[in-house]
Amino acid sequence: MRERARLLGALCTGFIALAGLVEASLPVAAQTGAGLALPAPGSYRLDHIQRVPFGIVLEGNRFPHTLSRYTAGAITLLTFFYSYCADPNGCPLAWEAFEQARERIIGRPDLRGKVRLVFLSLDPAHDTPDVLKNFARHYEPDAAIVPWHFLTTYSYLFLNPVLRDMGEEISIDQQASSTGGLVVNHLLKVFLIDKQGWVREIYSNQSLDPAAILGDIETLSLEAGKVDHH
Amino acid sequence: MNKRARTALTAGIIAAAWGLTALAARADETCLSPYTAALIKGQEAYLHVWTLGEKGLGDESDKLVTIGADPKSASYGKVISSVSVGGRGEAHHMGFTDDRKYLWAGRLDDSKIFVFDVGIGPAHPKLINTITDLPEKTGYIGPHTFYAIPGRMVIGTLSNNKTRDGVTGLAVYSNKGEFLSAHPIPAENGGDGYGYDIAINPKKNVFLTSSFTGWNNYMMDLGKLIQDAEAMKHFGNSMVLWNLKSMQPEKIFSVPGAPLEIRWSLKEGDDWAITASALTSKLWLVSHGANNEWQAKEVGTIGDPAKIPLPVDISISADAKTLWVNTFMDGTTHLFDISDPTKPVQIYEKVTGKQVNMISQSWDGKRVYITSSLLANWDKKGADNEQVLRAYDWDGKDLNLKFEVDFIKEKLGRPHHMKFSGPTEKASLDIPGRAASR
Repeated sequence: MRERARLLGALCTGFIALAGLVEASLPVAAQTGAGLALPAPGSYRLDHIQRVPFGIVLEGNRFPHTLSRYTAGAITLLTFFYSYCADPNGCPLAWEAFEQARERIIGRPDLRGKVRLVFLSLDPAHDTPDVLKNFARHYEPDAAIVPWHFLTTYSYLFLNPVLRDMGEEISIDQQASSTGGLVVNHLLKVFLIDKQGWVREIYSNQSLDPAAILGDIETLSLEAGKVDHH
Repeated sequence: MNKRARTALTAGIIAAAWGLTALAARADETCLSPYTAALIKGQEAYLHVWTLGEKGLGDESDKLVTIGADPKSASYGKVISSVSVGGRGEAHHMGFTDDRKYLWAGRLDDSKIFVFDVGIGPAHPKLINTITDLPEKTGYIGPHTFYAIPGRMVIGTLSNNKTRDGVTGLAVYSNKGEFLSAHPIPAENGGDGYGYDIAINPKKNVFLTSSFTGWNNYMMDLGKLIQDAEAMKHFGNSMVLWNLKSMQPEKIFSVPGAPLEIRWSLKEGDDWAITASALTSKLWLVSHGANNEWQAKEVGTIGDPAKIPLPVDISISADAKTLWVNTFMDGTTHLFDISDPTKPVQIYEKVTGKQVNMISQSWDGKRVYITSSLLANWDKKGADNEQVLRAYDWDGKDLNLKFEVDFIKEKLGRPHHMKFSGPTEKASLDIPGRAASR
């Protein structure tokens, strides 16, 4: 409880003091610049990389839901995070990319209601449903246009099979943990999942380009439109 | 939520961190895929060597040999483990998955791909999967380059199962070893369809491929091949610039004489790559000019091309100021100053063996490793068929031999491709009591 209070307190007091600093220090997402232009949405194919595995997750309370409730039936952008992650090349970078994707989707009437965003915690012991409610609340006003779900699990017993299946293995940084806290080492991966629950693209901190993400979302949307039409 | 509030929320999250340091920078060793995690910036602990089995030597099988590379370790310079995979199929190159937990190793003859777990105990890799469906799924044979992208492996191949010449393509597999897609290398509009290396520049949404030769040639005795004028016509003369997102070729460059390894500059802001052509002994630069057009240009000469020194592997320094080049025939290791990549200048050379092929350097450039074998049927014969791994320190002026492993004396085979592993320092989150303590 003390840690939770510490987190929430920091959430309130840290806003103004660090806002400018964080904005300036966030890594810039990949730009095509002088490189090759991204292909037009629908003009290329995204591989069916793997199915999202079965899992049990929690949202808002301790009532269990299947993970597929959050990964099928709509185009889904999913990543793993933990609420106190400080690695500028990790969770904050994903957060920024999700924010940008969300803003672009809100500005696109043809994509409204077709895309959901999902954060699944890597630290179920700390990130309880109550803790994550505080994050979800900020996005509730636009939930009908593009919902953003903050999920956790009962424990690592439930989380680890999902992580292993999705190739998101984690470990603790021993030196950092000896200082009293934890760093959950993980490779930043953002998964783009189609309506049928297939992972169709995986982005890393090298490829987390909001323009590319939106193009891929449009590609899946066009693909789904063709399937629905037939 | 507006941008200010969003920024504030992000700031709050960071403020909530318990004074922890961030995970080490996730960049790239000098010649790995930029998506590869856990860069070893300090002292490498282990050296994995993909080794061709040799008839009459030891168990005669291809194998992954792991050697101690930390001078502070009792196993420094010694063979720690050897995992035989059975048979001889022209073991050649390897590549880590994006998370660096698994090492994929290919064979050019039977097209088998072996997946080793090097994440849990890198001193003792474990063979966990053998992928055999590449020819069936794609028609391509000779899996050469293993280049990680998030959650997947892009495989550059050398040949095909119909004509067995150099016309080939790229295959994409999931990290689980399941085939996903195939992408032919263009054989028209100036392309020859040949393949070899892959090198991605994600910031520019591009990747490059180079071109070598097909099964008919790389499995032929080198002496016989050189005498076969018709066979010698079947080497790659092109590089291809691809759109990374669409996996479609965008531009074909004429690069005569089998351009092999491709290295992008890792220096922030640079957008150029360099390669060496084996048969013509030239350095080529791929870059985009003032008109924003990508181009390939010959920029330097390696040794005396008339003597066909056969440049093989190259290794770029992390600061993109120097480039190591091994020439197989004269057993020489060259160092070029490429601080101006349009005008490479050789600044050092040393004979490092009777035949030398692969070269790998540490991130800080202080350690350089070489191996001897090129291909089983291309290696020299008799007393010149030296099969060694040599480890050097580079003091900025000279390569100083630190240790040597004689792969014949150790009854191992022919050492080819090398990869580094660090020590295991991380603990799994499966810690009993952590969940209970909360």
